[in-house]
Amino acid sequence: MNDAAPQPVLDCAHLVRRFGDRTAVDDVSLRIAPGETYGLLGPNGAGKTTAIRMVCGLLRPDAGTVRVAGLPVSTAAGPAKRLIGFVPQEVALYPDLSVRENLRFFGRLYRLPRRRLEARVAEVLDLIGLTARARDRVDSLSGGMRRRLNIGAGLVHAPTLLVLDEPTVGVDPQSRHAILESVTRFGEQGMAVLYTTHYMEEAERLCDRVGIIDRGRLIAEGTPRELVSLVAERDRVRLTAVGDLDAFARACRRFTRVEGAARGGDRDDVVEVVVKDARSLLPELLDLAHRQGVHVRSVEIDEPDLETVFLHLTGTALRE
Amino acid sequence: MRVVLSIAAKDLRQRLRDRSAWVIVFVAPVLIAGLMALAFGGDTEFRADIGVVDLDHGPAAAGLTQVLTGPELRGTVRVREYGDAATARRAVDSGRAHAAIVVPAGFTRALRGGSPSPVVVLDSVDHGLEAQLARAVAESYVAQVNADRLSVATAVAAGVPQEDVPRLAARAALLRLPEQVRPEGMADDPLEVISYFGPSMGIFFVLFTVGFGARGYFAEQQQGTLDRIAAAPVGRGALLLGKSLSTFGYSLAGLATVTLVSWLALGARWADPVGVAVLGLGMAVAVVCLTALVIAVARTERQAEGLASVVVFGLALAGGNFVFASGTSFMHRLALFTPNGWALRGFTDLGTGVRGWAAVGAPLLGIAGFCAAVTAVTVLLLRLRRTP
Repeated sequence: MNDAAPQPVLDCAHLVRRFGDRTAVDDVSLRIAPGETYGLLGPNGAGKTTAIRMVCGLLRPDAGTVRVAGLPVSTAAGPAKRLIGFVPQEVALYPDLSVRENLRFFGRLYRLPRRRLEARVAEVLDLIGLTARARDRVDSLSGGMRRRLNIGAGLVHAPTLLVLDEPTVGVDPQSRHAILESVTRFGEQGMAVLYTTHYMEEAERLCDRVGIIDRGRLIAEGTPRELVSLVAERDRVRLTAVGDLDAFARACRRFTRVEGAARGGDRDDVVEVVVKDARSLLPELLDLAHRQGVHVRSVEIDEPDLETVFLHLTGTALRE
Repeated sequence: MRVVLSIAAKDLRQRLRDRSAWVIVFVAPVLIAGLMALAFGGDTEFRADIGVVDLDHGPAAAGLTQVLTGPELRGTVRVREYGDAATARRAVDSGRAHAAIVVPAGFTRALRGGSPSPVVVLDSVDHGLEAQLARAVAESYVAQVNADRLSVATAVAAGVPQEDVPRLAARAALLRLPEQVRPEGMADDPLEVISYFGPSMGIFFVLFTVGFGARGYFAEQQQGTLDRIAAAPVGRGALLLGKSLSTFGYSLAGLATVTLVSWLALGARWADPVGVAVLGLGMAVAVVCLTALVIAVARTERQAEGLASVVVFGLALAGGNFVFASGTSFMHRLALFTPNGWALRGFTDLGTGVRGWAAVGAPLLGIAGFCAAVTAVTVLLLRLRRTP
């Protein structure tokens, strides 16, 4: 009986990429198993896109290696690229071609035989719910439909690893829900998925494991439950207030018991503070707010989540 | 190869869905070439109506008429005969004849040693070229007659009996001066306007394909589809080949359309269809090379558009696309640095009856040299760029 772990679909080892003096990706290693959905979580500019461009063979690493199903990935047209489905952040389609023509073209790039290609195009059209619009030009589709087709174009050749770079940015709630449902199904069908996002709730909902990347470094990795357990002793205090909230957040960080403070959440009038014992520190925080001319309207003390983890690990909010 | 063809087919499909591309590459050159042919007149061949007034009624004067109606001037000169100089003058003034040659009485007799009378050419400022032709023919004929007279005079001086003079004069008339002085390489047929402006406009508008190709590349880069292709198992060579193939096919289709319409509908004539096809292929290759150069130099779609416009108009001006039969000697020399200049030189030769390698050899070498130079610069520029 063989107890060895199955070969990972994606194996990145010590990836480094510099642009001039700036190190965009700094010694990042990660593995994704078959059927696993891995979320790469980080703010804009953290190095997520650079990392996945190296994974897809669009960018040559300065150091480190990328292997897909054991095959090395390079910027040349190697066999590993047949196993990768790439869904870029922007809608990368030909607007003057029809939905079907786009899918056919991207399928042909992977040298699918004619019958297999036609069968896969039909399957993908069904999967993304665009069978009825197959003959329409892309520039006649709604934004949400284009997003779905953008994902479909990465699926035509039935990849082993699907790489999605922030596929829900700028998407309406309905289309976003449809995209997240699709990604859940890909994982259930045995496809490995690398999913980058800066939306905590997406990572929590979709991903079997999450890697948190900040300033090019992978600073934590694990299941969402494992990551949250890193801050199990901490509380997240949400202060809804009016005033100079940036200055208030900076002042909060000077408290030794505060592990992170930043404007955050879904609203501009919220400051989030991660502390070990919220109830004992709360009076001092309110006093500080008063001295800074910040009018606090409400206070909530929440259970920690991935947002709390990020605040704890980096000292700043994910969306800063 | 299937991937290369897929990329080329996709690019071609996109271009053919662009109506402006249809207008620029297929419709506009045909229209403008047709308009130019109309502007220069439907009958663009040179034809001179030359009158002859024979006051001599001897064999020497008849010889002049034979020269004018002979095979060398057939199709170029139409002879009209007049009874006297005054009638011929009126015909020239009214435009019924472009010029007239008056052979004086006693012209044949002068051949036997009499005093010579001048041959007169009646002309009009309205038909300078035709008058020049009439003068050239008359001078040439008189020179021949004078040579005959000299032969007879020499024989008489050497003691030939007087009764043998007519026989000697007849024999001397059979001895011709050197036929003509013709510049090396000059073709026999006149060049018709449409035979020049058909391909000229075709080439000019096909040069716009450089802009389409380069802008399309940067548009793909911007919309992310180029990344998507690069993420697939498609080598850079296959991508470039596919895109080049579509540019080549599109350029060739444009040139072929204009050439065929010029030939079938507008009356253009070229001596060698294979030569025409070969020049079209050469120009299409040049367009591919120029597209690659613009892509290598530019950084954005807008830069590519601007650069392509400079290339198109610069080459069209330098290559002589707007100047019938190439203008000044400086323009001739300048055209040697452009592929379109070389191609037009080839089309001009083909349009004047030159065939085969004599017509297309030098143009093909010129286009090949241009393509080699452009490719070398492009490769150098692409290597200087940071690779991903």
